Amino acid sequence: MTAYLVAVGIVALIYMLLTLGLNLQYGYTGLINFGHVAFFAIGAYASALLTLSGWPMAPAFAVGTLLAGLAAWPIGLLSLRLSDDYLAVVTLGFSEAVRITIQEERWLTKGVQGLPGIPRMFQSLGIGEYAEIATLALLVVVNAAAVALVVHLVRSPYGRLIQAIRDDEVAVEALGKHPARLKVQVFMVGAALAGLAGGFYAHFITYLSPDQFLPLVTFYVWIAMIIGGPGRTAGAVAGATILMVFLEGSRFTRELVPGVSEVQLASVRIAMIGLALILMTLYRPQGIFGERKE
Amino acid sequence: MTTAVDFVNLALNGLVEGLLIALPALALTLVMGIARFPNAATGDYMTVSAYAALGVQKALGVAIAVAAIGAAAAGIAVALFFHLWVFRALARRRPVASLVASIGIAFLVRALLTLFVGQEQQTFQVALVRAWNFGGVRLLPTDLYAALGAIVAMAALFALLHATPIGRQMRAVADNPDLARASGIRAGRVMLVMWACTGALCAVGGVLMGVKAVVMPELGWELLIPAFAAMILGGIGSVPGAVAGGVLLGMVQELSIPFVGPSYKIAVTFGVMLAVLLLRPRGLFGSAPAAR
Amino acid sequence: MSAKGRPEGELLPPGGKARSAKGAPVSAKGRPEGAPASPGATAQAARAAPPLLAATGLVKAFGGFRAVDDVAFEVAERQLTGIVGTNGAGKSTAFALVAGQLAPDAGSVTLGGDDITRLSPSARARRGLARTFQVPREFTHLTVRDNLLAAAPRTSGETLSSVFLQPRRVRAEEAAQAAIAERWLAFLNLAAVADLHAGKLSGGQKKLLELGRVLMLAPRLILLDEPFAGVNPVLIGEISARIRELNATEGIAFVIIEHNLEALKRLVSQLYVMDRGRVIAEGDPAAVLADARVQEAYMGGVI
Ligand SMILES: Nc1ncnc2c1ncn2[C@@H]1O[C@H](COP(=O)(O)OP(=O)(O)OP(=O)(O)O)[C@@H](O)[C@H]1O
Ligand SMILES: [Mg+2]
Repeated sequence: MTAYLVAVGIVALIYMLLTLGLNLQYGYTGLINFGHVAFFAIGAYASALLTLSGWPMAPAFAVGTLLAGLAAWPIGLLSLRLSDDYLAVVTLGFSEAVRITIQEERWLTKGVQGLPGIPRMFQSLGIGEYAEIATLALLVVVNAAAVALVVHLVRSPYGRLIQAIRDDEVAVEALGKHPARLKVQVFMVGAALAGLAGGFYAHFITYLSPDQFLPLVTFYVWIAMIIGGPGRTAGAVAGATILMVFLEGSRFTRELVPGVSEVQLASVRIAMIGLALILMTLYRPQGIFGERKE
Repeated sequence: MTTAVDFVNLALNGLVEGLLIALPALALTLVMGIARFPNAATGDYMTVSAYAALGVQKALGVAIAVAAIGAAAAGIAVALFFHLWVFRALARRRPVASLVASIGIAFLVRALLTLFVGQEQQTFQVALVRAWNFGGVRLLPTDLYAALGAIVAMAALFALLHATPIGRQMRAVADNPDLARASGIRAGRVMLVMWACTGALCAVGGVLMGVKAVVMPELGWELLIPAFAAMILGGIGSVPGAVAGGVLLGMVQELSIPFVGPSYKIAVTFGVMLAVLLLRPRGLFGSAPAAR
Repeated sequence: MSAKGRPEGELLPPGGKARSAKGAPVSAKGRPEGAPASPGATAQAARAAPPLLAATGLVKAFGGFRAVDDVAFEVAERQLTGIVGTNGAGKSTAFALVAGQLAPDAGSVTLGGDDITRLSPSARARRGLARTFQVPREFTHLTVRDNLLAAAPRTSGETLSSVFLQPRRVRAEEAAQAAIAERWLAFLNLAAVADLHAGKLSGGQKKLLELGRVLMLAPRLILLDEPFAGVNPVLIGEISARIRELNATEGIAFVIIEHNLEALKRLVSQLYVMDRGRVIAEGDPAAVLADARVQEAYMGGVI
């Protein structure tokens, strides 16, 4: 039971990191990223491949995070030329292109066969089952640091400006500012957070394959952000938690309602996510906590 | 080694696929031009329609052309339902609201389909015929029929847009929503007709795609990015552009196979989309650039 | 509202102080005596130097339709200029060409003699050319105060590295800007709503907010697009008085698009009339409005 709760906690904290990144991009800056999972995948694969080739974990993590951030650079530049909805489509296409590349470049990623035996975090310490608890603890610290950084950032003049960009970019330019630089930076920072989450994911799951990086993951993160309320950091934390409770809770319904197959359960879960996206957009665009901001 | 004949075959296949991509691209471009958001559920409207046709065919044992009527009914019903429930309510909000909701619809529809019909691939009952062979250049009759079906659907849309009063109103709204409102065009009716057209286009596209390949819950979702790319390539809001964009993209996809393999289709599509957005953001026929 | 002992409606410069061109508050004593009180007084003095703003041969077509068709105008240092014209005459489009939101098909714009035609809107703003919009573009989800602060001229707080590595410097700069913002808020009677989200303001307040925001840039020239539209008569009087005062004490030149001829006439020293993309009359406001062509363009439009 403890082991299960620890595992759920780890996954929830990984989603939290992803949500913090997306929230910085969309919630605060208005950048529509429908390809978040691509940066998650880049971080995961980079860190996994490096550790498998003998790197120590810390630098592998750092490189994975960095690569995810750098991969966002060209997309960020593109965002300068595209209006919101095209950026959405382009990022979605990017994430699929990344997934196909992972699937096809077998020499590097072993393709659909998957990448097994990725070293577990803290395994080398020889502390047995405490390794997972240590991972959980580290994730708590990392999330706390990420929240602190985001909060500090959005309360700074920088944060005020990205929120102004979200509200009206033309006006920001008319006031002598360069939205471009900030948009690219925010895109990269958000992607780096996703890459960091990917590193944790790889070394927790210990097995990676391309079908773990479907667009569905991106929209799990979206729904977590939307539930919490875009543009509120506490909301990202709460939203990721609620998402996890839902995803895990749906597992138990299978024990309560007999005769439900795994495939059916997965379908129900995806249908619920879809429905939640529709209902939240229609009725609570400000999240389930916030008073209506207008 | 790929021979010249192989290339001709690939090009031919690309042409047929392109015509099929053009159908959802047209559906996208209609919504984009009039309701002004990219409808990510477009592909899943196709899937619903394909399964509806499959159901009609299984239940009644009728020919595919007859079953397509059931598909059209399903496609139109789904498109109108989500318009009335979701998109109409979001019309006054920013396009991103409709976009996110359409993603939700895409997931909801696909998941419900999977839940009720399962994940297995299914096929239409079509007479199995051998491909015609013209000195190595092969053409499947079903492909020819699919291409003809797509062309007929496009011609019908053209006729509707250019020869009927409601079609002219739709084009007026697409050109200038404010002006159209000022001149007393009833936006509500235009929207209904537009969504019905979208549903019908998706239905034809879904059935033909199912005939050409197989019917499965991912049928439409996998066409979404190609359809977007085709629309952008042709120029947003342009009806001939969507057709030309679809055909061109289909050919590029197929002709790239000898070089990058069949699995990289989506990546090739993405590359085409990027290139267009960067080099010619207004597309081949568009007037309003996608980029700024 | 403002300092005690002042009659309602009388306007104070921010904190009783004027500001230098750099935007730092300076004592009013620092200003040369006898700063011109009447808007037109400096026009002649500026003749010799290049005009503050000059647009020549501006053309902008949308599709085949020429919204702005060979338009030229000149604004002298510290001058108050009006632009009038029927709906769709091309006034707002001309603003967008001058401020850089749109690129002209032909023609050029100079600011203080420098060609700025190819500069980005932000580069123009940093050179002292600021504008407001016909439909207010407030930052809806920011407070009124933050709307002004967001416009504060480039501070180190806007770079990622400084935010994290030089927090003290960022805070100090922020405090200085906040003081300036506070004065402008008081000056524009927005202090009471400073903590409200800008989206909640009335139409007239949003117009004031946009004015406050561009004042943070300490501009030499402000383009106002219909500052009186949807604003009640009392507030129109107040805004007019503020404009006059900013012109007199800060030396800011204004170009004002307005449909309210009465209010505009009392404010400006030169008037341009636009019709179907062209300038059909220019000069002294009273004379221009009496012009037969202007009468026709206007009356023709009304009837
Ligand atoms: N982005 C655009 N695309 C197409 N046409 C435009 C665009 N912007 C303006 N127009 C057209 O150009 C003409 C001039 O518009 P503009 O907004 O400059 O007029 P205006 O003089 O400011 O009018 P008003 O007093 O109503 O504000 C109008 O006919 C308008 O419809
Ligand atoms: Mg105007």
